[in-house]
Amino acid sequence: MAATGAGEGKKAAAGSSLHSKTLLKSEQLYQYILDSTVFPREPDCLRELRIATTTHPMAGMAASPDQVQLFGLLINMLGAKNAIEVGVFTGYSLLATALALPDDGKVVAIDVSRESYDKIGSPVVEKAGMAHKIDFRVGFALPVLDQLVAEDGTSGKFDFAFVDADKANFHHYHERLLRLVRVGGLIAYDNTLWGGSVAAPDDETLSERDRELAQIAREFNAALSGDRRVQVCQLAISDGIMLCCRVA
Amino acid sequence: MATTAADATATVPKEQTTTNGAASGAEQVTRHSEVGHKSLLQSDALYQYILETTVYPREHECMKQLREDTANHPWNLMTTSADEGQFLNLLIKLIGAKKTMEIGVYTGYSLLATALAIPEDGTILAMDINRENYETIGKPCIEKAGVAHKIDFREGPALPVLDALLDDEANHGSFDFVFVDADKDNYLNYHQRLMKLVRVGGLIGYDNTLWNGSVVLPDDAPMRKYIRYYRDFVLVLNKELAADDRVEICQLPVGDGITLCRRAK
Repeated sequence: MAATGAGEGKKAAAGSSLHSKTLLKSEQLYQYILDSTVFPREPDCLRELRIATTTHPMAGMAASPDQVQLFGLLINMLGAKNAIEVGVFTGYSLLATALALPDDGKVVAIDVSRESYDKIGSPVVEKAGMAHKIDFRVGFALPVLDQLVAEDGTSGKFDFAFVDADKANFHHYHERLLRLVRVGGLIAYDNTLWGGSVAAPDDETLSERDRELAQIAREFNAALSGDRRVQVCQLAISDGIMLCCRVA
Repeated sequence: MATTAADATATVPKEQTTTNGAASGAEQVTRHSEVGHKSLLQSDALYQYILETTVYPREHECMKQLREDTANHPWNLMTTSADEGQFLNLLIKLIGAKKTMEIGVYTGYSLLATALAIPEDGTILAMDINRENYETIGKPCIEKAGVAHKIDFREGPALPVLDALLDDEANHGSFDFVFVDADKDNYLNYHQRLMKLVRVGGLIGYDNTLWNGSVVLPDDAPMRKYIRYYRDFVLVLNKELAADDRVEICQLPVGDGITLCRRAK
């Protein structure tokens, strides 16, 4: 997730469901999926980066292991070669994406800061032999995306995009990504269920921040659901992933 | 067997119940609380939110009709859920699948989802031991949707059909996508054959692999008879699939748990 200064890591209000690591009905069920299907298949470098990320004070911002496994599969299914990642943090999902891309594949990685990546992710990415696939662009995502749109040959060039950044700008990123990602390509948005609070009753105790972000998520979900340029699917993994396949 | 937003007091198939008729009032209350979670998610409210905001507004009208007609059927617990139908449709589009297969049809909700997703000249080889639910409930909706011509329905057990396909080498590696939603004690037998029938890069989806969440219950936890019976098969299946290095794998909590296996070699 892109650092926004204030940070959008999920600091849960006391007593809210946002304390849970999962949107599933029990943490045991989530752990079962991880233990039976995710961790046995996790490449060593990805495990190393996942564990190293836990040392970071904002570790909650990172993608989840089951989520990055899904992305790897989707990238292979798409035969993707070019990807975009908005929001890098330490680079866990970035590394997973790079591993799935072919040797001549590239991922444009955007984050307002490369500090966490340089400190934690980059050494692991280098060791994994994936550094040549990464085109890191430092800056706020919107101007970087606009610049990317303006570059020659980028229209419909990308097969896959993952957005894990400042939620208030998701709809702006969406407009740019619909020009950069090809028809038939996939855009994935993170945190679209915001700890499940999108469905919270009005009287549930939520922090001001969570209430605000739940509302943003609801609005974004509604907008995507009504957007006929994409075919959508909401998955209750990680913090809610909305998959959008560009159809027009 | 995916649970749906259908009436939770629906009975389970006769051969899987210990009683032989309508449940008493007290028993119905117990069943209702037992299937209180209509999904694998943290709350029914969250599941409903997903259905109402993302699934139902995009659901093809014929799928909606089929879903509603199926909800009135006594065995409606067996149906594919609406969110899973949407997910399958997306997957098929993503991989551009054309030649597909479905093992386990029931009334045909996932079959219709597949038929709507594949191109005009796409095909589905569909198998179920019972043709009746498909004929009476699903087929009218599928015909109305204009996609019935894509479906080749075979009534009877699936294994002989798969073995017959394998006898002809031309069928090896010919399928793009297979969805398996059938008898859990045969999944591994299907898998053995499907790994030869699906092309490299092709996708198999196995349904109900989280088995109502029972995969994490202690052995002595109270469970419905059919859940307990098939649970061991599901646990073994999950282990075997995870260890199968011929596939790239991912297990998702969509519906009752779906495990995607992409043939890698």
